[in-house]
Amino acid sequence: MGVYVHIPFCEQKCYYCDFHSVVAGDEESFSSVVSDYFLSLRREALYYKKLWEDRALRTIFIGGGTPSIVPAEQLASFILFLRNELPFVAEPEITIEANPHSLHYEGAAVLSKAGANRVSLGVQAFQNRLLKAIGRVHTSDQIGQSVGALKRAGITNINLDLMFGLPGQGISDWTETLREAVALRPTHLSCYGLILEDETPLARWVSAGIVHLPSDDEQAEMYDLACEMLKEEAYEHYEISNFCEPGMECQHNLLYWHNEPFIALGSGATGYIDGFRYKNMPDIQGYIESWTRHTPYYEYTDQVSLDQEMDETMMVGMRLLRGVEEEAFFRRYQVSFRDIYREPIEDLLAKGLVQESNGCLRVTRQGLFLENMVSGAFLR
Amino acid sequence: MVQENIRNFCIIAHIDHGKSTLADRILEHTGAVSQRDMSEQVLDSMDLERERGITIKLKAVRLNYRAKDGQEYVLNLIDTPGHVDFSYEVSRSLAACEGALLVIDASQGIEAQTLANLYLALDHDLEIIPVINKIDLPNADPERVIRELEDNIGIPGEEALLVSARTGVGIEDILETIVRRVPAPKGDPGAATRAMIFDSHYDQYRGAVAYARVVDGSIKVGDIIQMMSTGRKFEVTDLGVLRPSLVRVESLGPGDVGCIIASMKDVRDTRVGDTITVASRPATEPLAGYRPAKPMVYCGLYPVVNEEYTDLRDALDKLQLNDAALTYEAESSVALGFGYRCGFLGLLHLEIVQERLEREFDLNLITTAPSVVYQVVLTDGSMREVDNPSALPPITTIDHIKEPFVKASILVPDEFVGAVMDVCQDRRGIFVNMEYITPERARLEYELPLAEILMDFFDRLKSRTKGYASLDYEFIGYRESKVVKLDILLNGNPVDALSCIVHQDKAAARGRGLAEKLKEVIPRQQFEVPIQAAIGNKIIARETVRALRKDVLAKCYGGDISRKRKLLEKQKEGKKRMKSLGSVDVPQEAFMAILKVD
Repeated sequence: MGVYVHIPFCEQKCYYCDFHSVVAGDEESFSSVVSDYFLSLRREALYYKKLWEDRALRTIFIGGGTPSIVPAEQLASFILFLRNELPFVAEPEITIEANPHSLHYEGAAVLSKAGANRVSLGVQAFQNRLLKAIGRVHTSDQIGQSVGALKRAGITNINLDLMFGLPGQGISDWTETLREAVALRPTHLSCYGLILEDETPLARWVSAGIVHLPSDDEQAEMYDLACEMLKEEAYEHYEISNFCEPGMECQHNLLYWHNEPFIALGSGATGYIDGFRYKNMPDIQGYIESWTRHTPYYEYTDQVSLDQEMDETMMVGMRLLRGVEEEAFFRRYQVSFRDIYREPIEDLLAKGLVQESNGCLRVTRQGLFLENMVSGAFLR
Repeated sequence: MVQENIRNFCIIAHIDHGKSTLADRILEHTGAVSQRDMSEQVLDSMDLERERGITIKLKAVRLNYRAKDGQEYVLNLIDTPGHVDFSYEVSRSLAACEGALLVIDASQGIEAQTLANLYLALDHDLEIIPVINKIDLPNADPERVIRELEDNIGIPGEEALLVSARTGVGIEDILETIVRRVPAPKGDPGAATRAMIFDSHYDQYRGAVAYARVVDGSIKVGDIIQMMSTGRKFEVTDLGVLRPSLVRVESLGPGDVGCIIASMKDVRDTRVGDTITVASRPATEPLAGYRPAKPMVYCGLYPVVNEEYTDLRDALDKLQLNDAALTYEAESSVALGFGYRCGFLGLLHLEIVQERLEREFDLNLITTAPSVVYQVVLTDGSMREVDNPSALPPITTIDHIKEPFVKASILVPDEFVGAVMDVCQDRRGIFVNMEYITPERARLEYELPLAEILMDFFDRLKSRTKGYASLDYEFIGYRESKVVKLDILLNGNPVDALSCIVHQDKAAARGRGLAEKLKEVIPRQQFEVPIQAAIGNKIIARETVRALRKDVLAKCYGGDISRKRKLLEKQKEGKKRMKSLGSVDVPQEAFMAILKVD
């Protein structure tokens, strides 16, 4: 169980991104918005503190947006505030998302002192022309520099986010990206396929025929390549898109894939506490304004039924390569998933998309590629 | 109202020439509806009619008009459908009138249906009032249209009224001309009652409502009426006229147009064209021209999920209450399970029914490719009508097959004559005649197999002529034809619902085209899916839908869970709209793919 904090600011919006974030304005107004924003985050944290009671929290994930665009001191003091106010274990996993361009040794050292022990770098690719094509502000040489700075500052648990299926990306580009990434020897790698989201500039360009993406088959090949290469480099493939050195799984993300509760703070963030799912309105001013009255500002809230929760536990659990453990499911719901999902399981087994092993139901190699088919089958 | 002051008229036009707008303007002008209540096109009541901009069911409206001669007149406006599928209904509404406004678009000029409708009107001895509409448009050319009228129809140009239904210019003129030129109804009030049904509709509370024109005698509330085609009797509970909402009256006399409510269960009791008489003193001869509507086009309608079969039946029952031309009977398909073979007047009728079933009854349907009715003459000399390719008897028992032919009349600017000829030739058309209705515009006559008209013919004609071609056709009879059955195999298994009957000379090309088209519409699946086209045991084409290698390999974090759930649910919905044939998921459009093949 953990806390997610959303920092909805960026230096520039990437062309493919439909997450909630705004481009930071001039320095003065930005620093005033950031101060107000962190004040609201504190108020929101104290609000959920009451609902949460004393269950142990094990992770903090500060995502965005680009958290590293905010002065490290502010992030650090907020981390300390959270650890002080909420029932955290002694050494929680604390991850900060960062852009290679905006994270330096000094900042990393400050964050490390506050307990931040993991950084997820938005690398995406090692070719400047590809980075430019998707609107990233960093360049490839800044990646290695960032990794070096983090290590010197004592943050050695580092994830690199990589993307395949980028406009103009060839198999050789992707091979090079994987090779360069592995050379930096991060503890963790994420390989995501680019998704065209409606209303993004990239989606418009693609539909206008200005920009071309690699075909589905090429993307499948790229994914296949990542699985093979990273395995050879002794990374463990533990989730569809995630690879790590033994024991270095991202604890915070695991809680999502185990469908556990978590507190989410910040404009546009989505949290899940005791079956109550809420999404904050993606509106920074509205968020700040609402918390001056100590009131949440939701886009929607949802009470997840038990059936729905079980479906979702299967849906996200099947993303993990070890699968969903029959015992664990039974302990949690006092019912066997075999009874509830008899038909879809039989169907998936017959299609060769899932298999059973060591008391778990998990995806096969083909099921990995057709994960939507697998997880969709568990929705009632 | 005295008979001398009644005028019954209709409006005939080619589609889109502004008939409905003109009707609206006339209603407005005579005060039948206030401008404020006026939603566009009052006469087209079904949503679908408005969306498609066509009139499906005709209705009659009674208008009061004080003419310049100081007298009060009753003008009965009878709306007519404007599409070839409904030509029989057009002819019945014409039979209820003494005059017709012939509306012609001032920029388009005379089109195929202008002529077709005009000839129909002349057959009924109607007084024709030419109305040149849309004169406010920048590209309007009324002089040219007047010349076309004079040259082709022999109507003196000075009789044409120049009108803009949109702005209201010329409406007064129309009303005065109707009063002056359309003859009053002639019927004999003392004779045995005869009234012609020109429309009917089903009302949940009143049952079937007949719209009729009284020719002789009268009908009163309480009368026992009798349908002359079936002999069935009903007691009249209500009589009304539409102004345009229903106003009760006690009786309808010669020349009157109104609706008759007599606890009739469904519209099959009120067949369009039938004659109503009064049982106590029945007429001996019905009015001329009745014939039951005969479906020309058949297709299978199947629920995507078998559980909806009874819902489909209930929905068809309900639609038939309101649509005497719709026929259906249960059938089954190896591929699609249980469904109905339905008969329609034409493709438009089919589309409308299909859309109403999906929209009003929330059904998910598979429609198989439409087929005409073939006459199959067997070696033993007997004849069988076959409207479903999979019901074709074994080839060895067939002596020959006949298919329905139509005579098509196509109007087109001179420069596209070649293109029209190409399209018709390609569709096995037989050239009959060509004439120039103006130096720039030609009218071509072809005899064509009806089956070819179903195959996207009009769309193709339109695209080859930049949209200028207009089409009208009528059934002329059956002719012997060399047709064969084309089968489709998915994953090696024949799919009966994808079979079609095609001409022998085109079978190979159609088979290839259909296989290619199916490859486009069948989504990639977990395994590769071979598609084969076959005639008898001979495979004539093969395509492959390659296997899907990956779906989405995206990030999934905490906030994504409900988003992901929604996405997957949507995919599941999409899959529900597909029919699972063995292990292959086939979308609805696959079953209509043959229509899109060259």
